[in-house]
Amino acid sequence: MNRESRRRRAALLAFLPAVLLALGTGLYALFSHSSPSRLTLELAWAGPSAGRPLGSGDAGVDLLPLACHATLRALALAASVSLFGFLVGTPLGGAAGLSRGRFERWTLRVCDLVQSFPTFLMALAVLSAVEVPSRLYIGLVFCVTSWASFARISVAQARTLADSQFVEAARALGARRARVVMAHVLPNLLGPVAVQLGTAAAGVVLGETALGFVGLGPPDGVSLGSLLEQGTLAMLRAPHVLAVGAVAVALASGTLQLASEGLRRLVHVA
Amino acid sequence: MSAAARPGRAVSGRGLGERLARGGRALWPIATRTLGAIGVLVVLATLVFLALRLLPGDPAALILGDQASLADRAALRARLGLDAPLWAQYLHYLRGLFTLDIGDSLTRPGVGAFAEVGRALGPTSELAGLAVGLGSVIGIGAALFSVAPWLRRGRKWVHRGILAVAATPLVAFAPLMTFVVAVHWRLVPLPGDPDSGFSGLLFASGLLSLPLAAQVARIARAALLDQQNAKFLDVAQAKGASSLRVWVVHALPPASAPIAVVIATQLGALLGGAVVLERLFERPGLGTLMLQAYAARDIPVLEASVIAAGFLFVAAQATAAALSAVIDPRGQA
Repeated sequence: MNRESRRRRAALLAFLPAVLLALGTGLYALFSHSSPSRLTLELAWAGPSAGRPLGSGDAGVDLLPLACHATLRALALAASVSLFGFLVGTPLGGAAGLSRGRFERWTLRVCDLVQSFPTFLMALAVLSAVEVPSRLYIGLVFCVTSWASFARISVAQARTLADSQFVEAARALGARRARVVMAHVLPNLLGPVAVQLGTAAAGVVLGETALGFVGLGPPDGVSLGSLLEQGTLAMLRAPHVLAVGAVAVALASGTLQLASEGLRRLVHVA
Repeated sequence: MSAAARPGRAVSGRGLGERLARGGRALWPIATRTLGAIGVLVVLATLVFLALRLLPGDPAALILGDQASLADRAALRARLGLDAPLWAQYLHYLRGLFTLDIGDSLTRPGVGAFAEVGRALGPTSELAGLAVGLGSVIGIGAALFSVAPWLRRGRKWVHRGILAVAATPLVAFAPLMTFVVAVHWRLVPLPGDPDSGFSGLLFASGLLSLPLAAQVARIARAALLDQQNAKFLDVAQAKGASSLRVWVVHALPPASAPIAVVIATQLGALLGGAVVLERLFERPGLGTLMLQAYAARDIPVLEASVIAAGFLFVAAQATAAALSAVIDPRGQA
């Protein structure tokens, strides 16, 4: 068993927590019949019990299904937003890095502009204008800015690859431009860009939590931010709600960050 | 000795002339940054304007509720200028932004929206300034301890600590710490208590400064490691300088450009993200004002506070970029 394959296995292990979290909450949401929004007023703020292992929150909502559904939705939102950023930003940045010149300069300039944009304030403005701040709007706002970091990395990566010797060799051997791009540049571009997926996803989870926390979450209250807000407001009365919320947020963003770290190691080793 | 000193003087003499010439060139990135920052602000202002007027829903109905009579709504629309054509509204709005006068608050008639914002800025900048100050000191200290030889094996643990803190989400961590320290142990007053005074401010900014410090430490550590093998550090050591002097006097200054950038960026993020922070600690300020304006549908105050927060965010970022260009001109081609 050599060192490299051991390291590769360790890197793969870093994905496990995120996969387990998604699977666990997904299976729970599929097979459990307890609703995250049914209210049982007489159980309001009740502590953990056999029937409700995580206890109850505001107006007697069962915290276990609430935490599971909220985590699952946060993960789904994070996955779709970061995938969108990946699918839009990578081809754009790659093309810009390969073509150089004016196209590249303008792409980088637009990236600068988008990345220096206060996403949170824009989300606040958009969500305060719509009557029902649904998750769709939150996702759209995040999508508007998510592609820039992917594009920036792909530009840098494509530049380096275009100058590399194996690409030059392929060109010298008479390979067509399309073949050079598809067979030599693209596969080597994807790794470093994919690392950004985990980072972007963790950022989306935290952004959605922050919006929900200040009351701009989805109206049904099934979001990590609303859960955390409940816990903060009832800190003195029912500290277990705060603990559940904080642990759920930390799990969702922490596992994603760990996965991104694993991805980084995997790419650097391979 | 004089032979060795002469080229030195010659270099410094040319350096002065070069520095003057560079002054002109150094202004160029600052100018483009400023233009970019103004562009971002205009886009933000336009988005806020469009969001509140074009998205479905009549602002007057949102403010007055469904039961308001049509005449009341029409009167409010006239007061807000919503009955004018869109382009006229937009021009009026832009002019209002430049003159810092976009009308009075709807909830507190007679008080200008920007006056409200100005009042709210005090507590926000207190909290953000103290947090960034603490965070920079702790972060640079931690970075020094993680690269300099003082702790030997402990260095690795300092680095792990930095990474762990950087990965901890503040939204989850801050209320938990508030509960443990202020409610459970009762060591400090609740930071949201109006009577908590300076200790409440110190506690809140101390909590905030931890993730800031971790970010600063990560960047500072990388910058210091870049300097680690530089020859001038060997020279300083060979001349008998203590390791404290080597790292603080010789290694830190050339590493300061990225550190200045990360500190300014974090300051901008704190000011722009004041909504969440003030909600976390239930303290007054710009973010609280924004949320109150949102809840009351007080459009002028909402616009003014979002744009003020955006201005602070963008200004901090532009300052960061300009600072790094001035401190370390090597990066520019």
